[in-house]
Amino acid sequence: MLNRRGFLKIGGATAFAALFGGCERLPKKLVPFVIPPENLALGESLWYASVCRQCPAGCGIVVRNSEGRAKKIEGNPIHPVNRGKLCARGQAGLQALYHPERLGKPLALDGPRGSGKFREIPWEEALRLLMTGLSSVRAKAPASLLMLTDPMRGHRNLVAARFMKGFGSPHRVAWDPFGQDAHLSANEAVYGVRDLPEHDLAGTRYLLSFSGDFLETGNSPVHFGHAYGRMRAARPTVRGKFVHFGPRLSMTAASADAFLPVAPGTEGFVALGIAHVMVRDKLTPAAVAARGLWNAGLKDFTPEVSEKKSGAPAADIEAVAREFGSNQPGIAMAGDAAASCSNGVFTLSAVGLLNLLAGNVGKPGGISFPNRLAAFANYGAEAGLLLPPAESGYPAVREAVEGMRKGAFRMALLSGATNPAFTLPASLKFEEALLNVPTIVSFASFLDETTSLSDLVLPTPTFLEEWGDDIAPTGHAGDAITLGQPVVAPFRDTRSMPDVLIAAAKELGGPAAIALPWGSFRECLDKAYAGMGIRLEEAHKDGGVFGGKTAALRPASRAGKISFPKRSEAAFEGDPSKFPLLLHVYPSISLHDGRGANLPWLQELSDPIVTAVWRNWVEVGPETARKLGLSDGDGVTVSSPFGSLQAFVFLHPAIAEGVAAMPLGQGHSRYGKHAAGRGGNPYALLPASVESATKAPARHSTRVSLVKTKMKGALVRTVSPEGQGLYENIL
Amino acid sequence: MKHDPAVALLALVLLFPAMSGAAAPGQPIRYTHKVHVTDYKIDCRFCHVYATKSASAGIPSVAKCMMCHRVIATDRPEIRKLAQYWAEKKPIPWIRVTELPEYTYFPHFRMVTYGKVPCLTCHPGIDRDDIAVQRQEFSMGWCLACHRGRGVSIDCWTCHI
Repeated sequence: MLNRRGFLKIGGATAFAALFGGCERLPKKLVPFVIPPENLALGESLWYASVCRQCPAGCGIVVRNSEGRAKKIEGNPIHPVNRGKLCARGQAGLQALYHPERLGKPLALDGPRGSGKFREIPWEEALRLLMTGLSSVRAKAPASLLMLTDPMRGHRNLVAARFMKGFGSPHRVAWDPFGQDAHLSANEAVYGVRDLPEHDLAGTRYLLSFSGDFLETGNSPVHFGHAYGRMRAARPTVRGKFVHFGPRLSMTAASADAFLPVAPGTEGFVALGIAHVMVRDKLTPAAVAARGLWNAGLKDFTPEVSEKKSGAPAADIEAVAREFGSNQPGIAMAGDAAASCSNGVFTLSAVGLLNLLAGNVGKPGGISFPNRLAAFANYGAEAGLLLPPAESGYPAVREAVEGMRKGAFRMALLSGATNPAFTLPASLKFEEALLNVPTIVSFASFLDETTSLSDLVLPTPTFLEEWGDDIAPTGHAGDAITLGQPVVAPFRDTRSMPDVLIAAAKELGGPAAIALPWGSFRECLDKAYAGMGIRLEEAHKDGGVFGGKTAALRPASRAGKISFPKRSEAAFEGDPSKFPLLLHVYPSISLHDGRGANLPWLQELSDPIVTAVWRNWVEVGPETARKLGLSDGDGVTVSSPFGSLQAFVFLHPAIAEGVAAMPLGQGHSRYGKHAAGRGGNPYALLPASVESATKAPARHSTRVSLVKTKMKGALVRTVSPEGQGLYENIL
Repeated sequence: MKHDPAVALLALVLLFPAMSGAAAPGQPIRYTHKVHVTDYKIDCRFCHVYATKSASAGIPSVAKCMMCHRVIATDRPEIRKLAQYWAEKKPIPWIRVTELPEYTYFPHFRMVTYGKVPCLTCHPGIDRDDIAVQRQEFSMGWCLACHRGRGVSIDCWTCHI
């Protein structure tokens, strides 16, 4: 008989069961490996040393591997380039490794050419397609094979070069939008060495920088960042002083003791103004000895002339010159924005002149030219392939584009992160020209603007999954060979480009097979380094061979004979009345030339000055903005004679007036969901014009106009320009 | 107080799902410790290789099972299931048997390598199980009794880190 008490008991029990019945412990799964990774110890980390390839600096890395997964990338503490440090781009290498959009199967075109529509095919079929193409090209006209890559170094480049030579085609082009052509030419003219110098920042007392954003971008930001820290704080009695001239307050400029805004392309005149004072006032022994310069033209470049050209006050130039002269050793260095004006070589030669007048060439705390290929003396002429000059390859790219248009190429092999369809000026019409090539094969990990144009895409491993080697172009005294090794077993069904080339050469036979006699790229590397007497196991543990014998410096032969640089003015495209502002574009600290745009970690990394994320913007000074009736956060259409795009205005408190600045890297039309459709691509605003002496791309050579435009949304920033404490929309 | 049997029955039926956690879990393969450990005298650490060097003892990889079962007992239905996983290169989704209370840290290697504690001290009877079950709840009192008996640390942070 169910009484009231019983009813309540049942009711209570029902409620209890209803509440907790679903709370039985869910079975927890214990999922073992199918095949355990090598050297696995559960819960224990293994660190593998390798080389970072997120940008061309060539930093050494150590990667924490836990249970077969790469978990964290850090700098290799014994690597001379980065000494245990690593930048955000390097850290984000993990996201490239685990990226859901990474290619894991070969792709064959499945739609109209250039549509970016592909279907997955097995490797056997892909290699058959590749070999059919290569064999038919070699039978008909071997020279109609084009290989267009990013600048490669180490044996990867040697394999590519030997393949093309063996195949019988001279058309091997490497494209780097931030090539150092102007630096190389200026160094040849000033010092007699066509190479990049080693800057001993750590030992210098006075650093003059001309539009060189060496702490954030430049050719080795982590190396320079570390050396800069030592220059400022590692000596008990000396704190090196740093003065920066440039069109905009970048993160590097913001670190300086003094930042003097100058108009783009006038850095050389400032440098000559400083040189004028040094020689006039006999500030250094080298300046006394260089008296001949005075009549060669230096006497005309007074600080007042510099002021008129650049906008930097003459009194400041005088003061800087006197400080620079009396605080030796000092270094003058220039960066990308100075080099990529149409008068880049003039500017860099003028800056080089300051190093000569300071007498710091080959001295501690100054600049020197190490022989970075000394260890490869037995390679003969091929040694240069391991560390090719850091050129942009622009003349060769233009020639190749012309060749494609005329139908000179039957087949193109593409690879690398520099993504020419995105980074070349739109007026060159690269895409249209490339589609004129009947067969396009890409080696790639992602479908970017260039790879999407292919007929066949062969998936490659990321740098964390493959063997390799590298000789860093700067940051060491020629005593560093970096070795790369897989830090995880490859996650996808990929093959590295050198491996595919070696296999293809074997199948083609003939001179290509003789030139590439190895079974795999790893065998090539192992034989090369074991042959040099290097103990491979030890070297892989260390991440390379460092601190070996330092070879003698390359003599800067022309350093004794100082010549006066040929005066050259920066030219800008566009009618000043229609396009009133000079366009200054700079590589993004996070996205570099655009290659980082598909990694969310880099997209959400706020710019150190503007603090904006996930899209780009255009910076103008307060006076310029007032004249144009613009205020912070307005939408504008930025137009150059070559193209236009829309962006939000950032009112930059410290930028030369009459300048509009934009970061490069955003504005992808493809390259995955994180990259595509975020603002316009500033490369599309650029002219195809060139630096006058080197024929390298002159990025800083166009004018633009800004017209207020209604735009949806807002620029997302972490910090309000009104003050550090006023957080905006995302935090 | 006299219990109403109807109430007790109802409560049992309703509460049964909440109590069923103690039963042997339905493993994807009827793996038997008895055959491997008691009959064939295979050392625990042959399969649980990480017990001596890692916090977790580890579950053997499918490759390890196949070291023997490529040739041994290949016609048994359970071994066929194993071979199927291997053929598809899929891991076996074992269901966890032994659980630690939350907020505790138990490093196997410390007990096994340095403490020389036999496996069966904490996993009693598992060597005779056809389907493994957890017979010993790891209550704090039980752990401490052993720690005290062996004169090892009973500091809080020895286990609660």
